[in-house]
Amino acid sequence: MPSSSSVVTPEVVRQVAALARLRLPESELSRWTEQLSRIVGYIEQLRQIPEEAFAASRSAPATPARDDVPRDGRGAETLEANAPRRMHDYGVVPRVVGSGS
Amino acid sequence: MPGVIETAAEVSSRRRSAVDVTRESLDAISRGDGRVRAFLEVTGEEALTEARDVDRRIAAGEDLPLAGVPLAMKDNIWISGRRATCASRILEGFRPPGDSTVSARLRRAGAVFIGRSNMDEFAMGSSTENSSSHVTRNPWDPSRIPGGSSGGSAAAVAARFVPAGFGSDTGGSIRQPAACCGVVGLKPTYGRVSRYGLIAFASSLDQIGPLTRNVADAARLYRVVAGLDPLDSTTSDAAVGAPEEALGRGAAGLRVGFLAEAEGSGLDPEVAENLENARRIFRDAGASVVSVSVPRATAAIAIYYVIASAEASSNLARFDGVRYGPRASEKDLASLYLETRTAGFGPEVKRRILLGTFALASGYYEAYYGLASRARQLLCEDFDRAFASADVIVCPSIPSPAFRIGEKTDDPLTMYLSDIFTVPASLAGLPAISVPSGLTRGGLPLGIQVLAPRFAEEAMFAAARALEAGAGFPDALPAATT
Repeated sequence: MPSSSSVVTPEVVRQVAALARLRLPESELSRWTEQLSRIVGYIEQLRQIPEEAFAASRSAPATPARDDVPRDGRGAETLEANAPRRMHDYGVVPRVVGSGS
Repeated sequence: MPGVIETAAEVSSRRRSAVDVTRESLDAISRGDGRVRAFLEVTGEEALTEARDVDRRIAAGEDLPLAGVPLAMKDNIWISGRRATCASRILEGFRPPGDSTVSARLRRAGAVFIGRSNMDEFAMGSSTENSSSHVTRNPWDPSRIPGGSSGGSAAAVAARFVPAGFGSDTGGSIRQPAACCGVVGLKPTYGRVSRYGLIAFASSLDQIGPLTRNVADAARLYRVVAGLDPLDSTTSDAAVGAPEEALGRGAAGLRVGFLAEAEGSGLDPEVAENLENARRIFRDAGASVVSVSVPRATAAIAIYYVIASAEASSNLARFDGVRYGPRASEKDLASLYLETRTAGFGPEVKRRILLGTFALASGYYEAYYGLASRARQLLCEDFDRAFASADVIVCPSIPSPAFRIGEKTDDPLTMYLSDIFTVPASLAGLPAISVPSGLTRGGLPLGIQVLAPRFAEEAMFAAARALEAGAGFPDALPAATT
């Protein structure tokens, strides 16, 4: 069984935080790494399940698909009602194209 | 404050008005909630308006199964006109576009929504200490947690502020707080109750269910909210049946399987004693008591923390400061996402998002998410085999009584193990109910769970009612409210 400390390194935690759009201060990185290592170390017990057990297993039943029937939504106004910034009935975000982006 | 069925009967027969009942509930909250802190918000004015409407409907001759029943609603369930924030800063001020399907069905049945109950942020936790607002206290002992994540609803029912509440259960978030607070908590079969308007945590696990003072009240609420909903494609058209009639069947002839993996040397002695008492109750009720094995139940926490965290990391990607909640930066889009999420989520939510993102990341996906998914299927098959020799399965709800506030906050893994007995039913999509089963010598509630095959809630209710009758849990007000 691989040691969890070899899997969850500070560098891995940094990469995962970037993927998750979360900023972890450098000063807290060792604490996050230690906590996640312990949890992942606990999860590693799943590797003890023998491969033969999986071979005999069925695959999980799929959720039945429903018909894709269009229906009335609640309208753009309802969707925009909670937007942190609005202008002319649109939600506003910082510029993503053109100058200043 | 009487229970659900009694309240509905009084209001339906016009012995009391829904407005009177609502006022009684609001008074109880204003007297006792300063100590318990079960609510994030009490919506008294709106509740009284709803109660007046119920009184009008009763006067017009409508038959309402929940006439005038005040409910505490967990803060992740949409109610039209109220906020729903998941006890998170990132959803501060969020107003949903309408009722959840559950709220709409409850409203149609005559229920009144008293307020939004406290919870662990985004339902991630077992103690309600992860709320961004405040910690809720256990009415039986205010130095202890009420359980979680639906701790506010459990505490509100235990303190007799309301006849019942609703919560959501992803890995035990209804059953575990119910056991800690000495109330009944029901997680229906996955697919039985619509999640439309439930703010998602882990979509292959989340279910909404009631917390009540007794099993019959749980069956009444379940009957109202269960059934197919076109707005949630995971709901099933399986017949709901007659859960309230099933209560009277008793346990005679029922094959009751005690979960072998939940017994043994690691069990808290008082929990073991309580389980032994449950065995006696079922035998005395004429059930055939057997032992069943679900070998993969011991791996359930490991499976759960991969699957639930992976799904949470996907579901919570939508909280980015664009469509709702406060926005932490306007500098550029990348900063908007990063700063809003960093400021908006609390530590436990961040931990789960990081864990889930890790489990889904390229290079780790098959080794963690893939493996956990396959192990989950093995667990489901274990249950299928166990149910070949038992109609219901029984195990404790909690490994020990409610712990002290702050006792486990620095140790996430130990906190996760609080759900060791509730997570297996969640992973397998089974219905499970926690029934108050006794008090420890220190006066803290314990709970026993009854699990049934998917969509076999009627057998579960029959067994749960027999257990309740035999356990004779005290119907006394907890100390903090007296």
